[in-house]
Amino acid sequence: MTGAPDPSDTHPATGLDDVVHQRVRLGILAITHEARRVEFGYLRTQLDLTAGNLSKHLSVLAEAGLIDMEKGYEGRRGRTWITLTAAGDTALTEEVQRLKLLIARVETTGTPQHR
Amino acid sequence: MTTASVSADGDPRRLLSDVRALTRQVRLDQRVTWLALLVLATVTLVGIPFDWYGMSVRCLPDGSCEFSRRGVLYYWPAALLLAYTTIAVCYVRAARARGLGSRVLPYAITGAVTTVVFTAAWVAAALYFPSHPLPQQPLPYWWLLLDRLLTPWSMIGIALLVLARLERNLALGLFTVGYLATVLLVLPMNDGWGPPHWGIRAGLAVPQLVTGVVLLLGAVGFAAARRRHR
Repeated sequence: MTGAPDPSDTHPATGLDDVVHQRVRLGILAITHEARRVEFGYLRTQLDLTAGNLSKHLSVLAEAGLIDMEKGYEGRRGRTWITLTAAGDTALTEEVQRLKLLIARVETTGTPQHR
Repeated sequence: MTTASVSADGDPRRLLSDVRALTRQVRLDQRVTWLALLVLATVTLVGIPFDWYGMSVRCLPDGSCEFSRRGVLYYWPAALLLAYTTIAVCYVRAARARGLGSRVLPYAITGAVTTVVFTAAWVAAALYFPSHPLPQQPLPYWWLLLDRLLTPWSMIGIALLVLARLERNLALGLFTVGYLATVLLVLPMNDGWGPPHWGIRAGLAVPQLVTGVVLLLGAVGFAAARRRHR
């Protein structure tokens, strides 16, 4: 191959965002996207994490501006609600798109005529 | 660069499969389909006596009878608005108790809009037909279908289709298509059913009873499916 690389030829894995391309953080974004608003306890149960571990992942996503966290009370019980930001929504969509491309690329290169 | 450079934790197939599984779980946890169907079944069954006693029937010397379903007009708009409000509140509370947001608002809005459409159509018909004759008999099929579509029982089905779409609930979608086919194509919601000696009141009550029972069976079925899933 000669000349400047065509952007469409770029391997999908090169565009993966380290913040999003991680099982737990992608799970948080997926749940929050579907639920619109999700409580800390629900995330902890679904993702099978300790509170400390989940907090670390939430901090990474919040610092990247992908989620918003809102603390409040329900009765005497403290509750933290998580919502997806517009940037988080875009990041999730792009990540899922890249994962699909990556799988398609692997399947294409895996067929006998390409070997 | 190949997929081998992506960590095992970032295996694309596993990640996508996890995303799909989590999304599906959230949708299941947000649903209270049985409750929506139970509320609508209750409203339908409670509406039968309102139609029965609110109906004015005038029989002519030639043996034919004219009837006006005032009970439907007075009962259903308020009942449907109350039903959609109840369903929306219960959905939001149930989802919140599970730590989730809810997607029910567009359904409640669709329900309110269909209620306004049905009420406007019935009021227009009540004002228009006393002073204008019906078109030539027999009425065309599309006329009967439109008449059935503009009943509260069909409007319930239209709103349920929206709920099925919002919840991405295939089972509810299939149930609703069956329900709408029953209400629009099978049950004579607007001209009665049964042997002549039953009279017009009983003839119009039977299709409503069947509709209420179908919704009730749907509620039982979805509740049982939810229990089994848990």
